[in-house]
Amino acid sequence: MSLSPEPVAVSVRNVRKTFRGGVTALHDISLDVARGEFFSLLGPSGCGKTTLLRMIGGFEEPSAGDILIEGRSVLGVPPYARPTNMIFQNLALFPHLNVFENVAFALRIKKQSAAVISQRVEQALALVRLEGYASRPVEKLSGGQRQRVALARALVNDPPVLLLDEPLGALDLQLRLQMQQELRQLQRAVGATFIFVTHDQGEAMSMSDRIAVMDHGEIVQVGTPENIYNDPATRFVAAFIGSTNLLEGRISALDANSVKVDCAGMTILAAPQAAVQLGQPVTVALRYERLELRADGQVTGLVTDRSFLGNMVRLAIRLPTGLALYADIPAADATQVGVGADVTFGWAPGSPRLLAG
Amino acid sequence: MNHNRLARRALGAYTIVFYIALYGPMLVLALLSFNDSDITGLPFKGWTFRWYATAFSSRALMEALVNSFGVGVLAALAGTMLALLLALAFRRQIRFQGLIFNLVLLPVIIPGIVGGIVLLIFFGYLGIPPGLYTTVLLAHINWVLPFAFLTLYPRVHAFDRALEEAAMDLGARPLQVMRRVVLPVLAPALLATVMFSFTLSFDEFVRTLFVTGFDATVPIAFWNLVVLQLAPFLPAMAMIITVISIAASLLGFVFTRNSRAADPSHRIA
Repeated sequence: MSLSPEPVAVSVRNVRKTFRGGVTALHDISLDVARGEFFSLLGPSGCGKTTLLRMIGGFEEPSAGDILIEGRSVLGVPPYARPTNMIFQNLALFPHLNVFENVAFALRIKKQSAAVISQRVEQALALVRLEGYASRPVEKLSGGQRQRVALARALVNDPPVLLLDEPLGALDLQLRLQMQQELRQLQRAVGATFIFVTHDQGEAMSMSDRIAVMDHGEIVQVGTPENIYNDPATRFVAAFIGSTNLLEGRISALDANSVKVDCAGMTILAAPQAAVQLGQPVTVALRYERLELRADGQVTGLVTDRSFLGNMVRLAIRLPTGLALYADIPAADATQVGVGADVTFGWAPGSPRLLAG
Repeated sequence: MNHNRLARRALGAYTIVFYIALYGPMLVLALLSFNDSDITGLPFKGWTFRWYATAFSSRALMEALVNSFGVGVLAALAGTMLALLLALAFRRQIRFQGLIFNLVLLPVIIPGIVGGIVLLIFFGYLGIPPGLYTTVLLAHINWVLPFAFLTLYPRVHAFDRALEEAAMDLGARPLQVMRRVVLPVLAPALLATVMFSFTLSFDEFVRTLFVTGFDATVPIAFWNLVVLQLAPFLPAMAMIITVISIAASLLGFVFTRNSRAADPSHRIA
């Protein structure tokens, strides 16, 4: 018997989900989310991230495997008896209740006294900065305000685990960025574990302590945002997160310190990885922003397109071999570079990554 | 240009004819109900309210009104309740869904006179004594149910299940979800269904004629009066009945509109 609190808030163990009709949404998923962590499930639509979240909330049952919350299995436990609360994709605010009654819902179910209810609802509304909105009908609120009501309604119970199903998807960009920040601050303030589902890699990167990248019902990689960005485990992760040149090639030389990959006539040096062999076909990932204009660069090519991104300029470059690459160059360095120009560029050693798959 | 104007005039004329055909007879009836003449029918001999006074002092009509309200309210409530349960069940995948759906709607297309005979035989076979709150009520529930279901089903079907999941997530058990979320959100649609069902029951004649014993609902009482005596107060009586029917339907439409923009002022206690 351990006296210290369980450090794992949610543990997903070998969970599989097969829907009626035989469609498998999740294959053997295992995952530990630490207490107090802001954890994101990131992937394209249909990857199974929402199904996994709904299973943690109790809205779907796994076909196999186990889910533990705070160390206890919740298999067969209905949503109303789980220590989780959820922010739904469409928020699911009760249209027949005003802001106060929406937030008070869970407390009324628990038959709390009127004094306790009004005190806790006020606290929750203050937490999301909606003081003074208590008597407003919910459909008279703006998108951001509705978001906050949903948060207050879910947090009024002090759930140890909050599940968020793409709640920011419907907001416009400015508001979304603001809500991302607020969510992060809110999570630090209440100290709860947040499990956040999103298909937006930027959102996941900026908010999360750790991210699980999912594809086709499987977890492809779990790690910190830096870790996943800098060291994508697969071609899918590299392509899904950030902007990456994916170059097909063959290993042409191999020693203890480096691997030479021949990509359509261009030789790229990469750090060696275990279990690669001479002649093996591989993919090299090279982030757009890792390419830099340098007189002593490895490669020369022709600029075929140029788009201004604000702080960066994106150049499309065609090499004499026919290979096309993209480079994101700091805007200040690219003022003289236009379409039709010949550019010499290179990259720092360690930038190219060898990928499996 | 010319052609256009001609078409527009023709359309205008058609519209006028259309509305006269639709509402003309009703207007004549309204006029006759105020006709100060002892013979039902034209010519118009001046304005009077005495036929309304006669109608309201008619015992037969008053009894029939009480009967119709009693049966109408009960049939509407029972029909709406059954329709709600059915609509809720239809949100899940159930066996023979299509078949059940069609069976529920069958009474709509069965001719009224056949429906009446079938019910008469059925009640006789079961030994249910004819009467207002036995055979008539059952016949009316049977008649009202498919319409109540058709009114309610789209609303229940469109009900956002995330609301139920959210309630459950916040600790509500299934019955609490029903009482605190599903019913309040559907309340306007339910009220509308009750009003429409009441109108249907209030106006039902053929089936009632077959299964009622000696009790008279409003249409039955009216029929008796028409057959026995072409009383001069019949137009006034007809107007009273029409106004009740229209009022109930209008209320139903008001509730229907409200159910689209769910009432935000409602609070649970």
